[in-house]
Amino acid sequence: MKLTTVLAAAFLASSAFIATVQAQEQVNLTWQMWGDEKDAPLWQSLADLVTAEYPNITVTPQISGWTDYWTRLPVLASSGQIADLVAMQSMRMPSFYSILEPLDAHFASDGFDVSAFETSIIAGLGHDGTQYALPYDVGPWLVYYNRDRFAEAGVAEPALDWTFDDFKAAAQKLTEGENYGYAVQAFDFVAGPVALGAEYFNDSNQFDVTNAGYAAAVGKFVDLVAVDKTSPVFASGAGAITGSGRFAAGNAAMYIDGPWVLQQTKDSVDFNIGVAPLPRGEGESRFITAGSGWGISATSQHKEEAYKALQVLTGPKAAEILASAGRALPGRLAEQKFWYDVAAKDVAGTHEVLDYMFAHSTPFRLNEYWNEFENLITQYMPLALNGDSTTDAVLADIQNQLPF
Amino acid sequence: MAAIEDVSGPTSRTRSRWGSRLDRREGRTAFFFLLPGLIGMVLFLVVPIIASVVLSFTNWKLLGTPQFVGISNYVRLFTADPQFWPVLRNTLFFTAEYLVLNIVISLGLAVWISSLKMGQRWFRVVFFLPTFTPGIAVAIVWMLIFAPGGFFDFIMRSVSIAMPSMLTDQTLAMQAIIIVSLWAGVGYNTVLFNAALDMVPQSYLEAARIDGANAWQRFWKIRLPLISPTLFFGTVMTAITSLQVFDQIYVMTRGGPGNATATLGYAIYQRGFQNFQMGYASTIAWVMFAMIMALTAVQFWLQRKWVHYDN
Repeated sequence: MKLTTVLAAAFLASSAFIATVQAQEQVNLTWQMWGDEKDAPLWQSLADLVTAEYPNITVTPQISGWTDYWTRLPVLASSGQIADLVAMQSMRMPSFYSILEPLDAHFASDGFDVSAFETSIIAGLGHDGTQYALPYDVGPWLVYYNRDRFAEAGVAEPALDWTFDDFKAAAQKLTEGENYGYAVQAFDFVAGPVALGAEYFNDSNQFDVTNAGYAAAVGKFVDLVAVDKTSPVFASGAGAITGSGRFAAGNAAMYIDGPWVLQQTKDSVDFNIGVAPLPRGEGESRFITAGSGWGISATSQHKEEAYKALQVLTGPKAAEILASAGRALPGRLAEQKFWYDVAAKDVAGTHEVLDYMFAHSTPFRLNEYWNEFENLITQYMPLALNGDSTTDAVLADIQNQLPF
Repeated sequence: MAAIEDVSGPTSRTRSRWGSRLDRREGRTAFFFLLPGLIGMVLFLVVPIIASVVLSFTNWKLLGTPQFVGISNYVRLFTADPQFWPVLRNTLFFTAEYLVLNIVISLGLAVWISSLKMGQRWFRVVFFLPTFTPGIAVAIVWMLIFAPGGFFDFIMRSVSIAMPSMLTDQTLAMQAIIIVSLWAGVGYNTVLFNAALDMVPQSYLEAARIDGANAWQRFWKIRLPLISPTLFFGTVMTAITSLQVFDQIYVMTRGGPGNATATLGYAIYQRGFQNFQMGYASTIAWVMFAMIMALTAVQFWLQRKWVHYDN
């Protein structure tokens, strides 16, 4: 009896010892991320935060370019070479959620509260009610405008609830000779129509891009190019000169993009810029947001450690670093002020505009074919813009090629 | 005659028996020496090719396990896919125009260079430069030239020629792709043909000149037939690479505007790596392979009519 007790005690003690040793075991996590090489030190500083908090965990960032990242991700996942921590963009979540670990059980185990984050991006990084990633940034698509050109043309700066007619009038007034009022880009045919109140999906979340509401809204943006000539046609090529390029060169007075490019836009222009919400239609304003975050690979060998690392990488300190560097408008509400104070310092109206837009955000409806839809818009929309085809015909062609 | 056979018969038999033993021994040694290359070829060429045949009968989406779907990918490609026939038409159109222009221009340049008294080497290097420039880099530079509001539009405007921007016009976009491909691809054939022209014996040309043949006749009747094997090689290789065209399209147009520049090579990339339909992409790849095989076979059959081998 006594011997048994001693043995049991010895067993318990040794298992506790083993557990302690295991807890202290050095764990190396890999962290897959897109971005420029010049951002590498920034991501490394975030990785260092993890080691500072948990000395037994080291995180190694693996950075690739944006396009490559999405080509490599499924290849790495299906060949079992995916990193422990995986970057994910909200718009691609429906295609890739299956390679990520559901986080809800982890949240339940330590009572993690997601209410510190902006709600639309928490929804964006989930799928069917399950959370798969935590965000590091968020933002709605908004209108960047050249304040100097507005002043020269005597156009009033946009109001928060400006309508499409106001937008069109401004674009027309700002167009003069070789200088355009606006530079349309492919994604404007998603964010723009939604702001006008249109839907590209039917009730069962499948593409229905030929519905009258969406076709009319797309038609309004097409007319700005094809009829009013207030914007140049964009080319379908990958490296095509984009709206941002024209805007920075002073060739277009307005273009649509997200707050994630605000810092670089500000650095690349030599005039005053402002931001405004997307124009609304007859009804209330409504805006879609997108953002990115990090999740844990479903096949990771170190999920517990990865979860700890994830909390640090999306924690307040990391958000402050990214925001102060102007890299991201944080998904964490409390740390957004660092971005407003640094990146958005000289950009008129950023705080009010983003507050207004977050208050009027609408869920960004997506499905697993989203990527194909975006590619088809880029490839086919120029036909409507240059007058070779009509908006209805182009949308019918796109609908025809979408799987459903 | 019979006597000679009698004498040579046994000797050659002995030699062949001894020789075959040696052959076998040498063959084994050669096999081991070649093994690294063979393993590489099996692993990275044969296995993927077989895998892609298998994949073309599945609905593999990169993530998840593939399911066998029989020939339904092939049925879908030929009957249901609204994009297949336009894509095939674009591919053949590109190949036909590019092949003819490439051969004519490179042959013209080769003849011109070989007629030069000096600077031949210099011109050969100049025309060969684009061949070892990375295709993607070339395409990006040309894309910036042809982009709406870019350098090309600026030139056209300054000489008062009103024309739509190349990359956003359905007809002109393919011409832009062909121009870029020619710029990048003509140099190789030029150097090839130029080398062949230099190999034509001067004595033939001298003899023809003495017989009163003019330059035009010397070219058509002597030089062209004599370089026809090289010309044939250039044509076959250029046809194969042009059926596979991808880089320029990926960078400059992404198959657009609409489907104006969508080719088989780009369709494979789009289906496989953008839409993650690996099974379907493999199906298109096999159709492309069959097409290239068939066209190459036709070219080999046709060569009997126009290619002259000297011996």
